[in-house]
Amino acid sequence: MIELMQTGFAAVLTPYAFLIITLGVVVGIIFGAIPGLSATMAIALFLPLTYSMGPGTGLALLVALFVGATSGGLISAILLNIPGTPASIATTFDGWPLMKQGHGVKALGIGVVFSFLGTIFSIAALMFIAPILAELALSFGPHEYFSIAIFSLTLIATLSTGSLVKGLFAGALGFAFSTVGIAPVEAIRRFTFDLPSLNGGFAMLTVMIGMFAVAEVLKFAESARLSHRAKPQHVSMKGVKGFGFSMKEFVGQLPNATRSSLIGLGIGILPGIGAGTSNIVSYIVAKKRSKTPEEFGKGKIDGVVASETANNAGIGGAMIPLLTLGIPGDTTTAVMLGGFMIHGIQPGPLLFISQAPLVYTIFAALILASVLMLVLEFYGLRMFIKLLAVPKHILLPIILVLCVVGAFGLNSRIFDVWAVLLFGLLGYGFVKAGLPIAPFIIGFILGPMAETNLRRGLMLSDGNFGGFLTNPISAGFLILAAASISWHLVTVIRNRKSAAIELMRS
Amino acid sequence: MDSYKRNELIAGLAMLGAGIAYLVLTMNLPRRGTIDAAFVPWVLAVALCLLGALQLWVWRKLPDKSAEPVEKPEAIDYPTVIKSMALVLLYTALMEPLGFVITTVLYLYAQFIVLTPADEKVKHLRYALIAVVSAVLIFYIFRHGFDLLLPVGLLDF
Repeated sequence: MIELMQTGFAAVLTPYAFLIITLGVVVGIIFGAIPGLSATMAIALFLPLTYSMGPGTGLALLVALFVGATSGGLISAILLNIPGTPASIATTFDGWPLMKQGHGVKALGIGVVFSFLGTIFSIAALMFIAPILAELALSFGPHEYFSIAIFSLTLIATLSTGSLVKGLFAGALGFAFSTVGIAPVEAIRRFTFDLPSLNGGFAMLTVMIGMFAVAEVLKFAESARLSHRAKPQHVSMKGVKGFGFSMKEFVGQLPNATRSSLIGLGIGILPGIGAGTSNIVSYIVAKKRSKTPEEFGKGKIDGVVASETANNAGIGGAMIPLLTLGIPGDTTTAVMLGGFMIHGIQPGPLLFISQAPLVYTIFAALILASVLMLVLEFYGLRMFIKLLAVPKHILLPIILVLCVVGAFGLNSRIFDVWAVLLFGLLGYGFVKAGLPIAPFIIGFILGPMAETNLRRGLMLSDGNFGGFLTNPISAGFLILAAASISWHLVTVIRNRKSAAIELMRS
Repeated sequence: MDSYKRNELIAGLAMLGAGIAYLVLTMNLPRRGTIDAAFVPWVLAVALCLLGALQLWVWRKLPDKSAEPVEKPEAIDYPTVIKSMALVLLYTALMEPLGFVITTVLYLYAQFIVLTPADEKVKHLRYALIAVVSAVLIFYIFRHGFDLLLPVGLLDF
């Protein structure tokens, strides 16, 4: 392992790779800091840039963007009271009051340092858990993979939204879109309308760029003409020592940080929920366990620590199912999966055997990106604040052009650009109908995996569905999938009763 | 009917419509036994239709007036959305005949104007400059840095 780690570091410490990772972290922080841009969008937009890079450097760029963007959200959360990404919602609760009290630098310093610690903790967990899980997963056959895909899909559909019906519908629709093209096993054409361009189905990247970036531009257009630009507050960095907080404050936060890291890691591993949920859960837990919960929300550093540690601890967590099973835990890792596939790499347990040096290059890139994030985010703060002032009516059209370039670059054909527009309109429709986008994306990605393994599993058990239930691991995941839906149904029904009682009283 | 309930109705109809459309397409797939290439699409089509119907059923159960005081809905500027959609469609349609640089400059310039907040002035010169610089820069970076053959169209340089 140490040898592999050395190979990994040797790969990312070449001047070219180092430069690429630095670029990734800086761009990531910018995407994280600007409200409306996210880690998912950053990675989707930069995928085309990796076409001409080797897989190691290309993937290093993507993880650097991931690390930067997850942390970058804290800048606007503290300076503007607007979370840059959903991962920093809870950071605003105490970050903004601290800012108003004149402790902006301290809040930013604490946020950056604990983001770093959360990331490092989760990378350590990833490096420890992933190889073990990969070894276990080596024995998995089609039955297990089918059930894991179904489990992940139901979990994301039930967790990502308030409406179970809409979540499941979005997941099923994503799955339906993935059936376009040549079918697995029999290789007949499905839903291609005799268009040769559709034989290969819709490219994953066109779906994601459309749903995330184009839909975002259209959503912005709704309020663009009515918007007023938020002016970031001025922060003076004069006379700031270290990261702007004392050693005593740091040590006092360690129990809170450990707890928040575990929460962030655990939620990050689960498919369907990630940093967007863990920062809030971790904040609530920190408040409950605090001796002075009444001070939360009024500018207590504990709140910033809880939120920022947890959201970054999700990075390593989300990478675990991605690397070991090829299952993306959230939309960001879903785009990352696209990045792997573009370079002809199929994540899964075999990756740890056939491409071990690459896996450790990714680990090394994660560590290097975290260190760069720590230094660049705090000391480059002025530059990021300046960029927050770039008007979005200039920024978003340029991003749209980059989407078009990225889509075109897939196969050098305008067809993919049309596909991006189609999915952009669909994504905008989703926003309007209150349908969640994440289950759609995961359904689109896991659909082919579920279908192929269903067909293979049925062939192995001579067309008998019982094979999925007699296999213990497969049965376990299917039971969990059924349980997650029933549990959700029960809570919905219970809530409805209490809502009815409330209505009767009023 | 309040706007929330109307939205839920439209969502339900769209969901059921998508389900039925997929079902019709699935019915046209050739069959070769119970478990064949059409099996999963059938399961999905039925699931989509059922979920769409369920959404309409949930809609029927919604109270006519929301119990909670409805927050004032944010004004949505649909003309700007439609203009932006039209620009993006035109941009894509014209890219091959006119080439990447020309269409991108035109698209960016027009889109900047469309999205400019009402209380800010449209700065024509600055917009034009940003549009030209971004288009040329993106073209050069991708064409020469990343070997991406973006359409050159009329400007064959």
